[in-house]
Amino acid sequence: MHLSGFDRFVWAATFCGHILLLFVLFVRRRASSFPAFTTYIAENTGTTVILYFVLNHLSFSAYRYSYWTLGLLNELVQLFVFYELAAHVFCPTGVWVRDVHRTFLGLVCIGGVVALLLTWLAHPTARLPIQTFILRSNFFSALLMSELFVGMLVLSATAGLPWKTHVARIAQGLGAYSIFSVAMDSVVNYVTLSRHARLYTDLSRLRILTYLGCEVFWIVMLWHEAPVPRELPESMRLQIYSLQKQVEYDLIRIRAWRRN
Amino acid sequence: MRNLFSLILTVLFLVALVGILLRHYLRARTAAQATWDDLLKRLTWVDRDKIATIAMDIIDESGERRQGESAFSLEPSAIWSLLGGLDGLEVLERNCQVLVELAAYVQKQYPEALPVAEQLRLNAREIEWHVGRLKGAAQTGNLQSSFGNYAQRAVVTYYLMTRRVLELYDQTNFPGLADLQRAL
Repeated sequence: MHLSGFDRFVWAATFCGHILLLFVLFVRRRASSFPAFTTYIAENTGTTVILYFVLNHLSFSAYRYSYWTLGLLNELVQLFVFYELAAHVFCPTGVWVRDVHRTFLGLVCIGGVVALLLTWLAHPTARLPIQTFILRSNFFSALLMSELFVGMLVLSATAGLPWKTHVARIAQGLGAYSIFSVAMDSVVNYVTLSRHARLYTDLSRLRILTYLGCEVFWIVMLWHEAPVPRELPESMRLQIYSLQKQVEYDLIRIRAWRRN
Repeated sequence: MRNLFSLILTVLFLVALVGILLRHYLRARTAAQATWDDLLKRLTWVDRDKIATIAMDIIDESGERRQGESAFSLEPSAIWSLLGGLDGLEVLERNCQVLVELAAYVQKQYPEALPVAEQLRLNAREIEWHVGRLKGAAQTGNLQSSFGNYAQRAVVTYYLMTRRVLELYDQTNFPGLADLQRAL
């Protein structure tokens, strides 16, 4: 497979971006708060190196096999990243907030069903079956991730759960990239790949450039510290905890009355 | 043909997704940028005496449930009238949405106060749930049978929660207490 100068530049830029992002995650101590996201970036870095090595030193079929296997791994890690971000938003006290747990599970199930349905309807035309499979799996993954991120935003806004700065920035980057990928993939699914190879190449490049933009966004945002929260005065802290006890007690009683 | 159908469906889906995203993103951003005063201004005035009358039908001054025949003596029609019907409940629902945002504000500004903010948020959400049930009952024509039960529970939860919040602000001499008292 021939790689143009532009392709090599983008490949190198993505690799350098990943290394820089990993540096930021570890040096600014974000890796401990976002282990799944750190794993995702590390996995992407490894994928870039492995695919480059396989392409240049092994056969094209080995490249296809590696691309497919690593792509599957990438999807799995992305799901863990989504769970990690959801846990930051919906488990502010360490346990899942009661009022959104069921809705959240419903969101995941409905998101999966809708993504499956739209993927089943799409019928990308490619020369090889493996190409069709890859196009479909990419489309499914982009659909699912975009639905989940939008769903998470809607659910948190409805329930009044605020986002911490870095959680919001990671989700914005991944969400924007997923939505953009859905748009790209829907065009690719529509055209016949063998007849529009040039269009496919251009869209792939556009997708990588978008991902590069996300990398730069994450590097800048995760380098900056989140705004420092105010310190609660001791007297107010005691009163606020006593208020919590009273309100909790009230609510337990009112719920019990309903059961009587 | 199938591909064209799939493309149209995906584009429609994408437009809907982006529309929902923008709507909620802007809403979340506005809420995040709101100051304490902005939030207080959004509270709608309610007649606290009437709220207290409905609540006191179930609980006593100390907040304990009334025992005996004096409890649950208000007829649904009286509750309806005191509350101002479904409109009155919707005012409580709107105020609860503001209280949810006030809780989020406290949670964001003072992460140490997270447990209490979360409890207030849950209370406000529970009232929203009661009002939602009533709206559903109104649509299916079952409002009469549901109103007394759900509306009174919602009012008692609202009354106790706002009383605790006002007590807290009274104790801490927090600025804005007078505004909060007027609104809640």
